[in-house]
Amino acid sequence: MTASTIAGAPRGRRYFFDERTAYWLMVAPAALLMAAFYFYPLVQVLWISVTEPKPGLGNYAQLFTSASIQRTIVTTLRICVITTAVTLLLGYVVAYVLVHASPRAQRWLFLGVLVPLWISVLVRAFAWVTLLAREGLINTTLRDAGLIDQPIALIWNELGIVIGMVHYMIPYAVLPLYANMRDIDARTISAARGLGGSRFYSFRRVFLPQSMPGIIGATVLVFIFSLGFFVTPAILGGGKTLMIAEYISLQILDLLRWGLGTMLASTLILFIFVLLAALARVVDLKRLFGAG
Amino acid sequence: MREEQTFAQDCAEILREDLVAGRIDRRTFMKGLVALGLTPAVLGGSAALSRAVQAQATKPKEVVLANFGGDAVPAFTDAFAKPFEAKEAVKLVIDGSGPTTGKIKAMVDAKKVIWDVIDSGTGQAAQLGEAGYLEPIDYSIVDKTKLDPEFAYKWGVINYYFSTVLAWDSTKVQGTPTWADFFDTKKIPGKRMFRRTGLAMLEPALMADGVAPDKLYPIDQKRAMAKIASIKADALYWNSGAESQQLMRTGECVMGILWHTRANILERDSNGRIKWTFNQGIVQPGIWIVPKNPPAGSAWAHKAINAMQDPAGQVLLLERMGNGPANPAASALVKPEFAKVNPSSPENLAKQVKFGGEWWMANQDQLTQAFLDMISS
Repeated sequence: MTASTIAGAPRGRRYFFDERTAYWLMVAPAALLMAAFYFYPLVQVLWISVTEPKPGLGNYAQLFTSASIQRTIVTTLRICVITTAVTLLLGYVVAYVLVHASPRAQRWLFLGVLVPLWISVLVRAFAWVTLLAREGLINTTLRDAGLIDQPIALIWNELGIVIGMVHYMIPYAVLPLYANMRDIDARTISAARGLGGSRFYSFRRVFLPQSMPGIIGATVLVFIFSLGFFVTPAILGGGKTLMIAEYISLQILDLLRWGLGTMLASTLILFIFVLLAALARVVDLKRLFGAG
Repeated sequence: MREEQTFAQDCAEILREDLVAGRIDRRTFMKGLVALGLTPAVLGGSAALSRAVQAQATKPKEVVLANFGGDAVPAFTDAFAKPFEAKEAVKLVIDGSGPTTGKIKAMVDAKKVIWDVIDSGTGQAAQLGEAGYLEPIDYSIVDKTKLDPEFAYKWGVINYYFSTVLAWDSTKVQGTPTWADFFDTKKIPGKRMFRRTGLAMLEPALMADGVAPDKLYPIDQKRAMAKIASIKADALYWNSGAESQQLMRTGECVMGILWHTRANILERDSNGRIKWTFNQGIVQPGIWIVPKNPPAGSAWAHKAINAMQDPAGQVLLLERMGNGPANPAASALVKPEFAKVNPSSPENLAKQVKFGGEWWMANQDQLTQAFLDMISS
């Protein structure tokens, strides 16, 4: 989109428009669409955040003064960090197995990873309720086996939320990790083994460092997605754990504090942009999001 | 100066009554006047008539009533839409897509209002009304004699009663518990269930703390919140009626505060394992509101509201959904088997506390946030 791209583009034959005009003409429809349906509403959201209920930065000041907002942010960050860590660990194992599986097993494994993506998040949250509840499958099984007297509180708390979120996020960790691991040359491992490294040593010193871009990419992806979680915490949290997305929705839909809601939404977007910018310095974003 | 009424004028009056009642359309009315050798000017000065002519002239294609969906859509259709259509020859459409406060604000802001009447509550009415998003209820069209004037507010008017009641799991709780038992987790261990907005949740807390039912308002917020906070570790909070039902049915909670309609379904579905009582329940009004500049026009929105105060439809709604009739005259029509689950039957009203709508309207906004802060900290 910048001048340097144009300069770098291969020079073709001259037509009616010069190269620069033709370039802009081709970009224009997409740019206009983006402006109308993406940037304009975004600017509107920003605008509301500095004009309602009265003009100024009053809403943003609440980030520093409102205990309620700060608590919600801390809760959100805590849950997202835990979710990301657990998801990454499990996702890494799955991706590792996937890469090393036979093509036939791979197909089944992929099905297992992808099918949940097509199931509504609502259905999945309720499925967890039936499994984790007081009289749910897990608690009754443990009780019948004589392992517990009192049901374990697996749900209606942060644990329940994390379980539900990790389940949802696993594919988003597996896919970038798999893409990355697939490109790791298996011969480097063989070489490490051949030079006398133990299995674990070869993994730690050769495979793991090469999978680092995948890990970083998956981490940021999962973390960013987790920040916007709404349905899962609302259902599995027992009403006690308020995460930022639900907080925003409450402000906008129920409490009619649009200024406050849009401020938090804007802050969230800004935070995500900053994270992505930081990520762009470490890994190739285009590649991460599948643009080859 | 009062003129003697001519026969022609009397005919015109009959025509006018037909027009106001919607039995004839405006064109027939005009034709009739011409046939009688009268012009509309002859009848000039009658404000009711010109309003009726106006309303008739702008007779809308439909009046849209928004509610929160589910079983309420077919029930409202049978109870309200069918009789209204039969009477007014205007369709009454029930839209169950859920009129949240934010959606109504967005619609009015964008000048794209699609609802005429909205099934709402006191909190929403106060929030939206004071902010300029609602039409004030036009009591020249909505007949106050068909309802308890206590619940005839500026920005909304009662359309049915519901009650916030105590339900319990009879396998874990003996006898009929009181609000004091509800807050006593030592005496009866196990999880308790509240609604997550604080609305009608502070009243039980105060009663449990020893405040007399007739001394609840103005509510001592600090005292009520402290009482709820005292059992925070054992509390779960529901957002939707369905959720409250699920938490009780699955044995997650031993006692819960929930709407009587859901409590009644629970008792039926659990074959009596879950029990509930109207004792010291909080009886509340479900209210109609009209958004600013409704598509069918304010007059028609209020006409629909007035029509829905007729007892027959309200009794049907009680039989289908458990909503208590708002029209006191409806009590006589309620079949005995429904009278005991009717929150607005005289004997049940006597057991309950009347919701302090005015107090909540003034305080709900601030309280909802405070309640959320209390439970999430």
